[in-house]
Amino acid sequence: MSSYIVPEDLRYSKDHEWVRIEGSIAIVGITDYAVKSLHDIVYVSLPKIGSTIPKGLVAATVESIKAVSEVYNPISGTVIEVNKDLETSPEKINESPYEAGWLFKLNPTNLKEDIEKLFSSKQYLEYLSSLKK
Amino acid sequence: MANNLKRTHLIDFHRKYGQITKFAGFEHALWYDGIQSEHMVVREAVGVFDVTHMGRTIVEGDDAIMFLERILPRKISNMVVKQGRYSFFLNEKGGMVDDLTLFRLSEKKFLLVYNAGNREKDFFWMQKNSIGYDVRLEDVSDQVVMLAVQGPKAINTLQTICDTNLTTIKRYWCEWIKLKEHSVLVTRTGYTGEDGFEIYLWDTPLERKEKAETLLYLILKAGEPYGIKPCGLGARDTLRLEAGMCLYDHDIDDTTTPLEAGLGMLVDFDKQDFIGKESLIKQRESGLTRSRVCIRLEEKGIPRSGFEIYHNNSKIGSLTSGTYSPLLKTGIGMGYVGVEYAAVGTEAYVKIRDNFVRSRVVEAPFYDTSKYGVKRKT
Repeated sequence: MSSYIVPEDLRYSKDHEWVRIEGSIAIVGITDYAVKSLHDIVYVSLPKIGSTIPKGLVAATVESIKAVSEVYNPISGTVIEVNKDLETSPEKINESPYEAGWLFKLNPTNLKEDIEKLFSSKQYLEYLSSLKK
Repeated sequence: MANNLKRTHLIDFHRKYGQITKFAGFEHALWYDGIQSEHMVVREAVGVFDVTHMGRTIVEGDDAIMFLERILPRKISNMVVKQGRYSFFLNEKGGMVDDLTLFRLSEKKFLLVYNAGNREKDFFWMQKNSIGYDVRLEDVSDQVVMLAVQGPKAINTLQTICDTNLTTIKRYWCEWIKLKEHSVLVTRTGYTGEDGFEIYLWDTPLERKEKAETLLYLILKAGEPYGIKPCGLGARDTLRLEAGMCLYDHDIDDTTTPLEAGLGMLVDFDKQDFIGKESLIKQRESGLTRSRVCIRLEEKGIPRSGFEIYHNNSKIGSLTSGTYSPLLKTGIGMGYVGVEYAAVGTEAYVKIRDNFVRSRVVEAPFYDTSKYGVKRKT
């Protein structure tokens, strides 16, 4: 099978979400592996701005033609922005999962503790190779 | 993958190029290039599907007609040789045991083609009901390779490797032809809404994989100028749903009658007798309580099988199929609602998780028939 893009500067969850920290804000999306597993993403449902979502709860859903996949919030926080472009162009996730295909931005409530529990890129790559077996 | 899964002659091709899934007890390809691109190539040009997993039985004998008249609700005796028809087996209650196509191969010989998941069930059903008739039933499912070449350029694709003028084969009829050196039966049928052919390569047990592969590659080569793609089960499902065709075990099953499913025009009440007739007459007299409808979403969201349908805040039914339509770029589905809500144009709401998404009962097929499908004008 194909190999997956895993940028070094991000953190990852075992459910294949990624987190990018920019100042005090956390940006969340789904990984190249998740996108390639789902294939042909055609619909995205995003959280409401202002909602506070604890870590581990469903924050968004991403759908391909065949499957619905839930996006679990990897970092507790309050949603401050969602990627509106995805409502009209969900294919941006397929094309650019780490840039144009980001899902939502959070004001984290427990950043330091939450981030430590996520994989580094190296750990996530090891995790992915363990899944292939 | 579990070892007890069945495989077609083309399993090596599926594993090499496809995303593998489990369907009706088979290890099969869900997609190769992607459901959307495979779907669109069939609507716009041509695609080829391995449908070898389907069930096939030969019914032959002096009583073949009498037997089929008994187990099918459509008239059979007026079928001429090489003519085909779509029908279904009914149980005594009028529920559908399966849906199928049948073709009259000669005076006393018919080919019946039915769903992969019902191979055993259907053969048993035929056997059980053949007692007392002079017919021989032969399950040839594992001896025949079956490919479906579908799309507006299907005929052009096959014509480049065939001497028979394919335009002479009418919709739903069949013919014995040669595709280069391969002698095959073709039927002008399919499960996509588009023009196309289903090809049967006879006498090919699973050990003769290479025969199937040679034929597949021959077709892929012939369709190259039209951009042909191998297509998987994913596109097969989205194509049939856009065309408004039922999928057995979802949109129809042992508990749904053809009247409820909107297939009443395929029941010949003038026929003397057939299994399920009494029940259907009763249902026709007492009136239907539910009816199959096609539903198109008018807001964003993807409907799925099992989702509930509402009208004025009350539940009126649920979906039996649902998907994103790659052609219409909107959610579409099929389901059953109370008959009073089945009229085309009725507003309905599909409950998708916590949202009620505005939808409407529409006519099948979902696409513009002047632009797509067998009746297209362009």
